[in-house]
Amino acid sequence: MADVDAPIADACPGEPPDVDVRQVHAADLAGTVARFVELGARFQMLVGLDERSVGGDGLAVEVALDGPHRPTRLRTDLPLADPSYPSVARLIPAASWDEREAKDLFGMIPLGHPDPRRLVLHERWPAGYHPLRKDVSANVAPPLGDRHYVPFEAHGEGVYQLPVGPIHAGIIEPGHFRFSAVGERVLHLDARLFFTHRGLEKLVEGRSFADALPVVERACGVCTVSHALAYSIAVEMLTGTPIPPRASWSRLLLSELERLYNHVGDLGNICAGIGFQSGVARLGALKERLLRLNDRVGGHRYLMGLVAPGGLRIDLNEDGLASLAAELESISHDLASAVRAVIRSAGVMGRLHGTGVVPSGLARTLGATGVAARASGLPDDLRRDDPYGAYKELEAGVVASSAGDVAARFHVRAQEAQESIRLVTEARRRLEPGSFRAALAAVPSLGAVGVAGVEGPRGVSRVWLRAGPDGTVDRFHLRSASFANWPVVAAAVPGDLVPDFPLINKSFELCYACTDR
Amino acid sequence: MPIDILERFLHPLRRPPLTGRYPAEPAVLGPTMRGLPQLDPARCDSSATCVTACPTDAIVLTAATWAIDVGRCVFCGACEAACPQDAIRLGRRFELASRTREALILITPIGGPR
Repeated sequence: MADVDAPIADACPGEPPDVDVRQVHAADLAGTVARFVELGARFQMLVGLDERSVGGDGLAVEVALDGPHRPTRLRTDLPLADPSYPSVARLIPAASWDEREAKDLFGMIPLGHPDPRRLVLHERWPAGYHPLRKDVSANVAPPLGDRHYVPFEAHGEGVYQLPVGPIHAGIIEPGHFRFSAVGERVLHLDARLFFTHRGLEKLVEGRSFADALPVVERACGVCTVSHALAYSIAVEMLTGTPIPPRASWSRLLLSELERLYNHVGDLGNICAGIGFQSGVARLGALKERLLRLNDRVGGHRYLMGLVAPGGLRIDLNEDGLASLAAELESISHDLASAVRAVIRSAGVMGRLHGTGVVPSGLARTLGATGVAARASGLPDDLRRDDPYGAYKELEAGVVASSAGDVAARFHVRAQEAQESIRLVTEARRRLEPGSFRAALAAVPSLGAVGVAGVEGPRGVSRVWLRAGPDGTVDRFHLRSASFANWPVVAAAVPGDLVPDFPLINKSFELCYACTDR
Repeated sequence: MPIDILERFLHPLRRPPLTGRYPAEPAVLGPTMRGLPQLDPARCDSSATCVTACPTDAIVLTAATWAIDVGRCVFCGACEAACPQDAIRLGRRFELASRTREALILITPIGGPR
């Protein structure tokens, strides 16, 4: 097992000096991760890699941690002939989906994994097909396999199965939910996602950093700023590009506008989860006002096409910025009034309290992030804990609650939305005229790695980016906040009633598209 | 509480609806919205910079035409930013639906290479 105080081994050239990169033997990986976590580090992500494009001869997995002393990346090389290693998820459950994804897309085998079923590639994809391997072409369709999905079901006297989806009675994304229930009470929920897997990580390989951006930004429609920003920060790390102050403050402003419209929309969706129509209508109208504000400020209701490596692609609209403060003051007032109307309704709050409880220990174990963590007594917020860009100069107030139920997630969102209004207004005040974009300072060396995290509306989305030849993308991995939180949703439901599932689901309001990619 | 119910009833009466009457009336568009990329043929010098810049290969340039496939375009604005002649603008046109795949390819005649 690697010694935590041992000197850095094999730090790649061009690697930022404050990141500890170590080679670990396959047999020691899980134990080392577990030991570092005991020492206070937190698991961030596990990334599958094919080393053949950067001079290696096999596969590799890399685990990113935020400690114990400084950011750490543990790398394990795996031979093509036998790419197996003892599973990290046995000890660190938050790594479960990461390992299943790497297993599907690269073919490495996490030995002893608690749930080794397929995740990303459904059963009809043929055995032995691993699309993220460098010798697999993205343009050749593989033949259909002949296996079928075997749901995880609970059995016993009075236990019945309730399949829901993937087509739903609403404008939501596809997911199959298999409830095992006794009467109205859920015993187990098996969530099957990845119906919208588009192979985006394969699609950007070989593209220039600029050409990859529109794909990264469109991984989903509602965290576009967060994903473009995490990617841009990773590119700026790789190229050593400092960005101008106007770009920093604009990015903070856009990040908070994104959080704001999402939170307001999600508050409305929680009302929709119990059929409280006046709340749906009022909060939906507020969201529409925010989308129009986005349009006036950035020319796009969902804020696409603004954040780019080096700063911003285009400058924000001065007329829109001028109208920001007054409109946000009015929205702040109306939001407070709409939220009050929800909270004062005993019938509504009776449904929200005690429903979908995630205790803080469970949230920590499963790696919950964002509102899902903060409403379960974990006051984690990357904007304050590891500030990036203008958050270094303007501290975000962190809201937390300990109840862990739908009501807690409602309250946390409502308060965070008001805090976002404060941050947008303050960022607007500090936004000075000037350059909004810097040219990338250098072409990164082959195999250089940049890792960045951004606190988006649903929590921390992380990007792992490795440079190929001539400033192209060799490997891009997006671990979105939704990906991190889906296992938490599945764990929040057992013990509650089947009809409460839509409400619990909406209290997390996760995205399928950026989970599936 | 009855007062709450009254408040819920009165609230929408105090606010005009946000919903517009589109398509009966024109849609409300933001002042800097980025819709269909449009070419000014008088400025185009057929450098094909936009063709190279487009990340989705949506633009096809021939001697006589500049064609954009709105089935591929993601309105990212790379063509607009790249054009050395300032000939492309993401305009305000947004009603781009079609019953056929072919009709999604919008063709602008140009003068040809100079």
